Amino acid sequence: MVFRTPIRSLLYWSPSVICIAHTVSVKQISGRSMQPTLNPDTSAWRDIAVFDQFSTHIMRPCRRDDIVALRSPVDSKRMLVKRIVALEGDLVKTRPPCAEQEVRVPPGHAWIEGDEPFRTDDSNLFGPVPLGLIESRLMFIIWPLNRFGSLAVHIPKDRSSPAFRRAMDQLQKEKIRHSRVVAAIDSGSIHSSDS
Amino acid sequence: MARLLHLLFEYIGRPSSMSGPSMFPTLAGENELVFENRITYRFKPIERGDLVTLKSPLDPGRIICKRIIGLPGDVICVDPTGKVAPSSEHVLLPQGHVWITGDNAAYSRDSRTYGPVSMSLIQGKLSHRIWPLSRFTKFSNPVTFLD
Repeated sequence: MVFRTPIRSLLYWSPSVICIAHTVSVKQISGRSMQPTLNPDTSAWRDIAVFDQFSTHIMRPCRRDDIVALRSPVDSKRMLVKRIVALEGDLVKTRPPCAEQEVRVPPGHAWIEGDEPFRTDDSNLFGPVPLGLIESRLMFIIWPLNRFGSLAVHIPKDRSSPAFRRAMDQLQKEKIRHSRVVAAIDSGSIHSSDS
Repeated sequence: MARLLHLLFEYIGRPSSMSGPSMFPTLAGENELVFENRITYRFKPIERGDLVTLKSPLDPGRIICKRIIGLPGDVICVDPTGKVAPSSEHVLLPQGHVWITGDNAAYSRDSRTYGPVSMSLIQGKLSHRIWPLSRFTKFSNPVTFLD
């Protein structure tokens, strides 16, 4: 196929480009709510990450500990990047701005929180969010280059390095986060007991 | 071509079929095609009385169609008939949330059961009924205000 003008080839290819943009998207993360996992103070750059928009609802349902991008339930023009703490049926111990001590996440909803409890607008403020608001899941970071890769915690060999202390801190936070959630045993039984 | 069509459907509008009795008599339960306008809600704020499609807050894979009753800041009587909730119960709609109900109150699961829903879940606005042709209609906003 020969295109006489670059404009025609642009017109021909633009739907494919936009379709690829529908499955995978690249986003820059602003704000401090996910520190130290994203945008840590040690990094001079804002993180840029690749998000998977395709699998969130079709092939791989959201899991606890996933970092997701979602539309803010209070302002539909804003996107948030948060971590899924609990899924439907789970019992969560809440953090300060929330009025109740413990919340049972209703069906079709998720409890999301930022990793930095002091600088985040999350489920503790507006309650559980519908899964329909979740648009994509963070796959890996592409910028800055020294942070390239997935966000899994890897523990350095050198026990005296600051990186080791940061990794330990992250593991500690993960443990605390898990301890605040009582997971539903299986979603089938939760549905029947709710209705 | 298919991709172009996908883009049109995703950002401009699409025909879709409806099922279920919750919007009777505005929409018959079956054998109807409506045109879903997916462009104006991004620019023009939605109003009370509009018919909208939104992702179900209970099941992200389902699209539901309801009528907007209240906008953020409104105080809404949960159920004036007193069947689902006592008729004295009122709620203040939080920021960014709307109150939706089906036109057929007896057969509709809506804000009366799951409360205010986030405006971010809205997917589009119903503009026309395109099938059957004999019942072609433009859905206009029926709200009149009493002074």
